[in-house]
Amino acid sequence: MKQEIKITASLSAGNPTRCKFAVNRPLLPGRTVTYSEARQAAESPLALALFEILEVSEVRISGDWVQVTKKDAGNWAPLAKKIGSGIRSALERGANPVAPNAGKELPGPDEIRLKIERLFETEINPAIASHGGFVELLDVKGASVYLQMGGGCQGCGMANVTLRQGIETSIRDAVPEVEEILDSTDHASGANPYYQPSKK
Amino acid sequence: MSRLLLLIPTASYRAAAFMDAARRLGVEVVVGTDQRQSLEFRSGGRLLTLDFKNPASGARQIARHALKNPLAAVVGVDEESLLLAAAASKALSLPHNAAAAIRAARDKALMRGLLKKAGVPSPDFKVFSAAGAPERFAGSVRYPCVLKPARLSASQGVIRADDAGQFISAFKRIGKILRGMSPDSKESQNFGRILAEDFIPGKEAALEGLLTGGKLRVLALFDKPDPLDGPFFEETIYVTPSRLPAAAQKQIARRAQEAVRALGLREGPVHAELRIPASGPKIIEIAARSIGGLCSKSLRFKAGMSLEELILRHALRAPMDSAERESLASGVMMIPIPRTGILREVRGRREALKLPGVEEISITIPAGHAVTALPEGRRYLGFIFARAKRPREAEAALRKAHARLRFEISPPEGASLAESHPAR
Repeated sequence: MKQEIKITASLSAGNPTRCKFAVNRPLLPGRTVTYSEARQAAESPLALALFEILEVSEVRISGDWVQVTKKDAGNWAPLAKKIGSGIRSALERGANPVAPNAGKELPGPDEIRLKIERLFETEINPAIASHGGFVELLDVKGASVYLQMGGGCQGCGMANVTLRQGIETSIRDAVPEVEEILDSTDHASGANPYYQPSKK
Repeated sequence: MSRLLLLIPTASYRAAAFMDAARRLGVEVVVGTDQRQSLEFRSGGRLLTLDFKNPASGARQIARHALKNPLAAVVGVDEESLLLAAAASKALSLPHNAAAAIRAARDKALMRGLLKKAGVPSPDFKVFSAAGAPERFAGSVRYPCVLKPARLSASQGVIRADDAGQFISAFKRIGKILRGMSPDSKESQNFGRILAEDFIPGKEAALEGLLTGGKLRVLALFDKPDPLDGPFFEETIYVTPSRLPAAAQKQIARRAQEAVRALGLREGPVHAELRIPASGPKIIEIAARSIGGLCSKSLRFKAGMSLEELILRHALRAPMDSAERESLASGVMMIPIPRTGILREVRGRREALKLPGVEEISITIPAGHAVTALPEGRRYLGFIFARAKRPREAEAALRKAHARLRFEISPPEGASLAESHPAR
């Protein structure tokens, strides 16, 4: 008997234009592939089906999930339904949702951890030390990275800018497979923030 | 994907709020700041160091950047970056305010002059050089009056005087603040003027709005229920929606519209402060920016939008289905600094947060740092946020929460025993 296809959608915590659809069957085990337009996706009937939905701007397939990025932020509910139906019909056709050798091998959490720790040690921390700050890697869960800022970065008025424009950009350059970068810092407890807000 | 340039002064309270809003909109962000950021070299062109005090040169730098990386909008997050945002937007043919209008909104003397010329009700005023002799000026003003530096904000240096003696003493005190801020003589020319304006008795309200082509859209109207009678003018509680009669609210919106027209403001957020005597609302301030500090957290719009998201949507000409505020009443209290010294500890936060309606207490000055009370200071200890069904409940929650807080502030020089000060 064929297993019923179950799809669970979860919105990205860090980027509201992204939603991940977990499927109860393998799609691309141990690998990851990202398509930003239909013409790149000839090897993936699943991605092609999703690009037929106008609002879709990027499709990423890995393991047992599909991550869809849409063009604008806003209400996901109606679009998620369309995407769910698109995934279901592509899978019901029976063919491989994506060529098994598509994209590249997914690094494991240990490999991700190692690369990020090296990046922090050699480039990020020496630079932010000039503001009395530092950043440390707390954990890697799947392809999600948890980090914590300290010293001059903790509670700094520009911490979010440093994180998103500097640290995140660097991590994505070094380890493009990373999905989410989450800041676990308790900024309210910062004792010596480098930039302190002062006026209107 | 659209690309947005946010001009964020490093002293801003708002960096995180604007960054989060941009993220929600899914736009690519470039951040321009007034001081080089330590990771600029790793940002792939997403961090720029710009001279906020030299808009012409900053605008040229932005225009060069935009040749390779086109920008859909340039948004100045706080006062300091507004002139540069306007100059850059002009260079890129994006909607913008005229530099003269922004200058007028930043300078109380210019603003008062333009309002008076346009016949927009606001306090009568006189402008004096801070270098002059107050004894000579004291006889030329009406009492009670309010003295204020032409170019400072956040109630810094704003002092009421009921007679000539108080005028002279307030004038000297403001002069000292100004001298401490601008040792540079060129800067002193900008900062070194003091306004003396009529004290207008009555309630105060604050209006938050967005301008498109000069037309004002009111986003929220706040009541300021604490009496602001001086001698200093601490902003404390803001509560929205306003409990003023509908007719008074309409009058306030009309007055704010007249004021932006008088100044020549046309695009983006505006924040207006008004006094409401029996004769009708008078403009105290109008700024070409949104509400300051962390106060914007008190505003939430339908579909969960923040004020920053509305501002960015407006700048990007993105759809704005609804700019209607949520149905709950909401309030913020800017926690005043009870005395100058070193902040040692803030106690009672946990208890205050348990009170119904209290959502957040954010202390924005770390323990161990100096705190300066008004009129010399320009910071708040932090912010309390509350939501409730009705405005009076939100206001009561803020007052109760504040009463639960205890501020340990030790004297500024020499660390003797910390003294405990109740909130009020």
